[in-house]
Amino acid sequence: MLITLKRIKQLILFFEDSLIVLLLSATILLAGSQILLRNLFDSGLIWADPTLRIMVLWLALLGAIAATRENRHIRIDILSHRLSQRSQSILATVNNLFSAVVCAIITWHAVRFVHAEWQDGATLFAAIPAWLGEIIIPIGFGVMTLRFLFNLALQLSQRDGG
Amino acid sequence: MIIALLLILLALCGAPLFAIIGASALWGFYQSDIDLSVVVIEFFRLAEMPVLLAIPLFTFAGYLLSESGAPHRLVRLTEALLGWVPGGMAFVALIACALFTAFTGASGVTIVALGALLYPALREAGYRKNFSLGLVTTSGSLGLLFAPALPLILYAVVAQQLGIGGPISVDDMFLAGILPGLLMLLVLLAWGLWSGRDLPLKAFTLSEARAAIRAAAWEIPLPIILLGGIYSGYFALSEAAAVTAIYVFIVEVFIYREIPLKQLPRVMREAMLLVGGILIILGLSMASTNYLIDAEVPSRLFDWLHERVAEPLTFLILLNIFLLLLGTMLDIFSALVLMVPLLLPVAVRYGIDPVHLGIIFLANMQIGYFTPPVGMNLFIASYRFDKPIAEIYRATLPWFFILFGAVLIITYWPTLSLALLERN
Repeated sequence: MLITLKRIKQLILFFEDSLIVLLLSATILLAGSQILLRNLFDSGLIWADPTLRIMVLWLALLGAIAATRENRHIRIDILSHRLSQRSQSILATVNNLFSAVVCAIITWHAVRFVHAEWQDGATLFAAIPAWLGEIIIPIGFGVMTLRFLFNLALQLSQRDGG
Repeated sequence: MIIALLLILLALCGAPLFAIIGASALWGFYQSDIDLSVVVIEFFRLAEMPVLLAIPLFTFAGYLLSESGAPHRLVRLTEALLGWVPGGMAFVALIACALFTAFTGASGVTIVALGALLYPALREAGYRKNFSLGLVTTSGSLGLLFAPALPLILYAVVAQQLGIGGPISVDDMFLAGILPGLLMLLVLLAWGLWSGRDLPLKAFTLSEARAAIRAAAWEIPLPIILLGGIYSGYFALSEAAAVTAIYVFIVEVFIYREIPLKQLPRVMREAMLLVGGILIILGLSMASTNYLIDAEVPSRLFDWLHERVAEPLTFLILLNIFLLLLGTMLDIFSALVLMVPLLLPVAVRYGIDPVHLGIIFLANMQIGYFTPPVGMNLFIASYRFDKPIAEIYRATLPWFFILFGAVLIITYWPTLSLALLERN
């Protein structure tokens, strides 16, 4: 059971990392070919610019997921290293819980937003549906919610153990 | 009010800033009975700003550069070319750091990547220990005002979103930063020259200069292509970023072969982690800013302030003190997205040019990085050079006062920031 869970976790991490690598590489290549097309042939792909902008959104959320995984979000760090171990762990619990709640609320409204766009049949450009680009917002915040909850559970179990 | 205090307390206790900002936006809109999906709609505007493409591309290029042998070649090159002038090694350190910070953003990487090379070199050249420590710590944020540093771009993005006080483009910020940035560099160079006046001069050797140029032959064109492309207007910013990313990638991975392909996913992931951290804050702060403006917070803040402080000059003094304190607590990116929406509308009503405000803001933040007791770079330096933090405080103090003088000049002499802008 534990081994399967571990394997699933590794698989998820690998999937996330691969997605970042693929997406960033694609972004660089697409932006590069736009420049070549503009300068050499005085043309360009019409869909490239809106796609690139969506890719930035995806990179932002995938990066934020990675930052959540490693607990490396930008924060003010002036109090924590002056406190005792015990108060530090209490603060970390509060912070994880708080972040999970905020992410959960945003996830819920992101789902509503994407659902509405899907029903409206809104498009990004040409026939590409808008929800396809926006879907990363509920996914991103959803995964972050789970991550913060996971960190929280981990912490509580560690405290009981120690 | 209680909620606001609670959020500030949570922020001081180390809760992720994006969650604090998200919570304040959610709470604000909830209080005014507005559908909360507005937060998501605002967040989606991250996908509507073409200029943001530059952020992941420049960050990736910066990470590649700092992981490769580029810092080493940069130090060797500047040393070979400038090491012979009086105050030589201090020159070398300041110029190398300024260049490197401009290209990698200001996230502490300069101290880590260049400090380890420069500190022993400075000591060897005969500079006192405190001088050398102070120099490398201070230089970690030098170059913030030179293109294409990310904070300049981010300020323009945030200011554009507000749409107050006329259009502000990234190009404006790139031009405005040049003279104030040079001023900071010059005062530090002068201090370096003075401190090193008794040191023996090194001879210039043509063979070493030639060898250093040859070693860095592939990297020397980069600033020329990039800055030339941006300032001539040939490249849009995101195009310049793409060219930089591709060029750096080819040079470091395939020509110098200093970053094995196997390491690439890790470098990409590290870079995107920072990008994600910045952009998620930016996205949510667009929602909270929207709420602030709806609730007319900036204009109420102005009215409150104006009753007490009528003079723009007094306002600027208060602003300097406030930003200095802020800079010790917040990193530059969160400070930008959090404070500019509040400060810009107020400053504009005091008659301060938005571009000038941006330069004041960034210059203040730059010294906030090493203002005791909690500037971030002080800790990075203490850790990197394995010195007690009190020693780092003492070592950076003279540097702090010198740069603070420069910040005052930048603040009270708007022409310095605005002279190069075409509209004047």
